[in-house]
Amino acid sequence: MKRTVDVNIPLGPIHPCFKEPARLKCEAKGERIVGAEVELGYMKKGIERIMKGRPWQEVMFLAERVCGICSVIHNMVFIEAMEKISGITVPERAAFLRVVVNELDRMQSHLLANFSYCYTIEHETLGMYLLDVRERVLDELERITGSRVMAAYMIPGGVRFDLREEDEGHLRANLAAIEGSITRYMHMFEGGPLIALRSKGIGVLTREAAQEAYAVGPTARASGIPEIDRRLRHPTYEKLGFEPVSRYEGDNFARIMVRFQELLQSISLVRGSLDLMNGGPIRGGGIPGAGEIAYSGEAPRGELSYFLKTDDAGRVLEVSIQTPSIMNIEACCHYMLKGVASLADVSSTFVSADPCIACTER
Amino acid sequence: MTISIVYYLQEFFRLEWLQKFFFVRTAPLSIPPYFRNYPELTGKTCTHHLFCMMACPAPGAIDVVKTESGWQPRIHKGHCIRCGLCVEACPNGVLTSGRILESMFYDNTRLSFSFRIDVDPDLCMGCGNCAVACPVNKVIDVQMSYGGHASTNELLLIVREGKSQVLHLEKCTGCKTCEDNCPTEAIRVARLLEAVHGPEEEL
Repeated sequence: MKRTVDVNIPLGPIHPCFKEPARLKCEAKGERIVGAEVELGYMKKGIERIMKGRPWQEVMFLAERVCGICSVIHNMVFIEAMEKISGITVPERAAFLRVVVNELDRMQSHLLANFSYCYTIEHETLGMYLLDVRERVLDELERITGSRVMAAYMIPGGVRFDLREEDEGHLRANLAAIEGSITRYMHMFEGGPLIALRSKGIGVLTREAAQEAYAVGPTARASGIPEIDRRLRHPTYEKLGFEPVSRYEGDNFARIMVRFQELLQSISLVRGSLDLMNGGPIRGGGIPGAGEIAYSGEAPRGELSYFLKTDDAGRVLEVSIQTPSIMNIEACCHYMLKGVASLADVSSTFVSADPCIACTER
Repeated sequence: MTISIVYYLQEFFRLEWLQKFFFVRTAPLSIPPYFRNYPELTGKTCTHHLFCMMACPAPGAIDVVKTESGWQPRIHKGHCIRCGLCVEACPNGVLTSGRILESMFYDNTRLSFSFRIDVDPDLCMGCGNCAVACPVNKVIDVQMSYGGHASTNELLLIVREGKSQVLHLEKCTGCKTCEDNCPTEAIRVARLLEAVHGPEEEL
């Protein structure tokens, strides 16, 4: 059937609101968008091909380099998959330290996502406030791991550096300051009348549509599917009594608010693991062995799965990575963008799903 | 409209913001001591164990060269990814980067290296290049020549019955020279690195 389309508007690959290149082809009828297609492939790195045949020491660092924003979770999922394969147990203190670093990384990723949404709806002030908080979080990451991104913190059998007492005090003090400012900015976002005009009821992803599109992460949680969170199945998070956040509106506003709530939740998770942490070893040792596994964890954007096959010397024979963003981009193009009222809402809806193109194309 | 102005003034006249506006200074651009920078030399004597090269995940990032004052590791900054594994691997503490060296003493970490040599019998054609090239073999049997045959059993690698065989794996230093010299990629060296944290033992 021939469709009546006034004009087919391309957005991108270079667009001031996108962090990374992607091309959106929007079918417009008047100014209303009736459908959209996404064109990816501008930053393919072929990282899975590079990983094949290399020992785990090298693949560990390559896995981090899949994504620059959520590098810690790639490290964590790869290392935990290797540990599952070769039956290495992690000391308790190291498991909690992993949660601390992972949640700090999630915080900086969510803050960046919320910044880009605020920037897209032209609320630059709030965006810059959020970036200011992100710097504090990155400083904490650097203090613990020695590096802002590409921390290379987790290794099979534990973590690389211990958290010292003075650093713990610094972390707690900084967390209190971060919590105060995030609460303030969250109320700013919640109460802003113009923000509500640009966000509420726009780009709605219903629960049914989210299930159809297999949306993951905060995008799915904003549509009322809290059980999608992979942290529910993680043993350390179970010890911390993790409960996922969820909202039921499914619009842009809900997606950003879910991230704000998760920021506060991450802070309480970091505090919880600092409280539960006892002294003890952080490196248990252990040599990776042969096996085959599909393992997934919760990245800031949703479920991240690694399929790994290794030989008995710890070399990676086969690897395939499934990243969360591809699901959310699908959900965004085929469900959220349908019926969006104007072209200005297209970029903000696309950014609210927090697409990470570097992850998607690897 | 009025509410907006009130909100704006409220936001502007916050004490915290006013203090920042009048008194804040840009923090000096300095590298914090805990930042994991490129590895630097501490001045201790390098004993040419080459563990830094074995642990390094980035190809061509580190090599150990002979200078007038002895062996010395050299970092190629374009290749280095600043992971700090060479600092952890060095048995003498020749390199330092950020707080890694300090943390190693603080956490009491001990690293152990072991190596595995896998020879694929289907690919190996018994040319003996691996056995001839091996630097460990060269020390043990100076007269080893073309073909990889020798009379002594003390060697690391030897060619027997047309295939390359590993006799004394414990002598391997993980240099991968055999792997580089194999024409059919039949021999592969795996470096197994293990770190254990021992809090009960005092240094």
